Amino acid sequence: MSVEGAATPELPAPVVEALDAESLLGRHFYELLSVASPLALLGLWEASARLGVVDARFFPAPSGVAETFWSMARSGELWLHTEASLLRLLCGFLVGGIPALALGIAMGLSSLLRALVEPLIAATYPIPKSAIMPLLLLVFGLGEASKVAMVAIGVFFPVAMNAVTGVLEINRIYLDVGRNYRASRWQVFRTIALPGALPFIMTGIKLGVGLGLVLIAISEMLGAKSGLGYLIWNAWEILDVNAMYVGLFTIALLGFFFTHVLNVLERWLVPWKTR
Amino acid sequence: MSDAASGAPAKIRLRHLAKRFRSRPGMVTAIDDVSVEIAAGCFFMIVGPSGCGKTTLLRIIAGLEQPSAGSVEVLRRDRAKPVNSMIFQGDSIFPWMTVWDNAAYGLVLRGVARSQIREVVGHYLERTGLTRFADAYPHQLSGGMKQRVAIARAFANDPEILLMDEPFSALDEQNKTLLQQELLRIWEEHKKTVVFITHSVDEAVTLGDRIMIMTAQPGRAKAMIDVPFARPRSVLDLRADPRYGALVHRIWGDLREEVQRARAEAHQ
Ligand SMILES: Nc1ncnc2c1ncn2[C@@H]1O[C@H](COP(=O)(O)OP(=O)(O)O)[C@@H](O)[C@H]1O
Ligand SMILES: [Mg+2]
Repeated sequence: MSVEGAATPELPAPVVEALDAESLLGRHFYELLSVASPLALLGLWEASARLGVVDARFFPAPSGVAETFWSMARSGELWLHTEASLLRLLCGFLVGGIPALALGIAMGLSSLLRALVEPLIAATYPIPKSAIMPLLLLVFGLGEASKVAMVAIGVFFPVAMNAVTGVLEINRIYLDVGRNYRASRWQVFRTIALPGALPFIMTGIKLGVGLGLVLIAISEMLGAKSGLGYLIWNAWEILDVNAMYVGLFTIALLGFFFTHVLNVLERWLVPWKTR
Repeated sequence: MSDAASGAPAKIRLRHLAKRFRSRPGMVTAIDDVSVEIAAGCFFMIVGPSGCGKTTLLRIIAGLEQPSAGSVEVLRRDRAKPVNSMIFQGDSIFPWMTVWDNAAYGLVLRGVARSQIREVVGHYLERTGLTRFADAYPHQLSGGMKQRVAIARAFANDPEILLMDEPFSALDEQNKTLLQQELLRIWEEHKKTVVFITHSVDEAVTLGDRIMIMTAQPGRAKAMIDVPFARPRSVLDLRADPRYGALVHRIWGDLREEVQRARAEAHQ
């Protein structure tokens, strides 16, 4: 039957050769630019620090920071702090993210639950998370729990709120299909609400991880003996500016790394959104 | 209106169905006092101007909406099977599932054995020409292919009755003709009772055994018309039949004043 053949041209058509070559050149040009601009900035910084244009006590030469980075990395000190921060981040992420996901999706599905919980979230969300650190220290003490709680609270809000929005944005027709096919509550959750809300949930997770990094750094500055936040704070106390920059740079690297990993994860989890 | 002509037992019985919705200026009566018996194995068409309550009626039969008055009875033959599967108006296949997973949806929910799912879904994907697209996601498919997936999903679920709400109304003329023919061919395998909604008189005559014409809002059963064409039908050959034109003309006569009434009300 020729009917099926007729539908084949729907798949993406090959791009014209000439256009392809042109855009390839353009892409390389922009890639080059995006590498060149930070390198140029570093070069400028290095020169300024050496020539005394900027105060090297606050803005030490990048070569010096790199040297410190290298020696701290080799001695294992840097990894010790990074590992401590990552572990707290992971625990906080699980403790805050999983309940947030369950609650958010349930709220999206139930208007009753939404009416009950939404005002609570609306009232607590605007409180700056860093402002509750003293309270957390009071409740959880100076140990690990207060830091994990800090991250958990930071992750909770964006994940929960995006999950609610994600479910509410699902076209009603899909929920009708679920009812028509007699899907149980759990089946609706698993086959419609969760996958349907996933694009929004991924956005919430990305925001949550970003906020988590901020909060872990802050919480480790108060009464911690390890972690990147502690490293930065301690460097200030002993006026080791190079070490402070190593801490900042490592946090930036982590942020960059997480963004990349989550983008990959998103492409894998949400294949129907990739064009 | 009973179905004395065919002699088959009634599969679906609607008794004095009515549905009122609360709306801004008060209550809207979507459908009013619809009573009809649909024989087992009948391809039953409902035609009416848009807004006359066709979707509402179908949703009530599907159990997605409760009637304000009246009752729906579906004669069950096999309690293990689902009562109905609906093909919804518009895009209803899940964008997050592959073609295969979409088609298998009903069977997977019911916990049917994996080997049986593979057999049934494989069969209907083959019948709808989707075998090569089993692993594709809906966004990679054209509108016609998506509706084929919706058809495969409904048929694979193996329900007692099939409900279709203007499944082809968004398609272009050529695709519509192809899909009508394919639908008839698939339906011929088991000849399940179908309730098919359309606003197209041509489609009603092409596909149906009986046609119920509905009045403009509130929707009532205005006329019942038997379609004399033998099965299996060829959608194209049918159009060359002189009786086809005569029937379309006659139904248009019934429908014209309803369409005009619906338009007049919309412009008030
Ligand atoms: N959930 C609802 N709430 C209020 N009014 C509705 C609802 N569903 C349908 N209606 C109204 O009922 C009438 C019939 O709608 P519908 O069954 O969708 O018509 P059709 O499918 O024939 O176009 C319309 O006037 C529509 O506005
Ligand atoms: Mg409709």
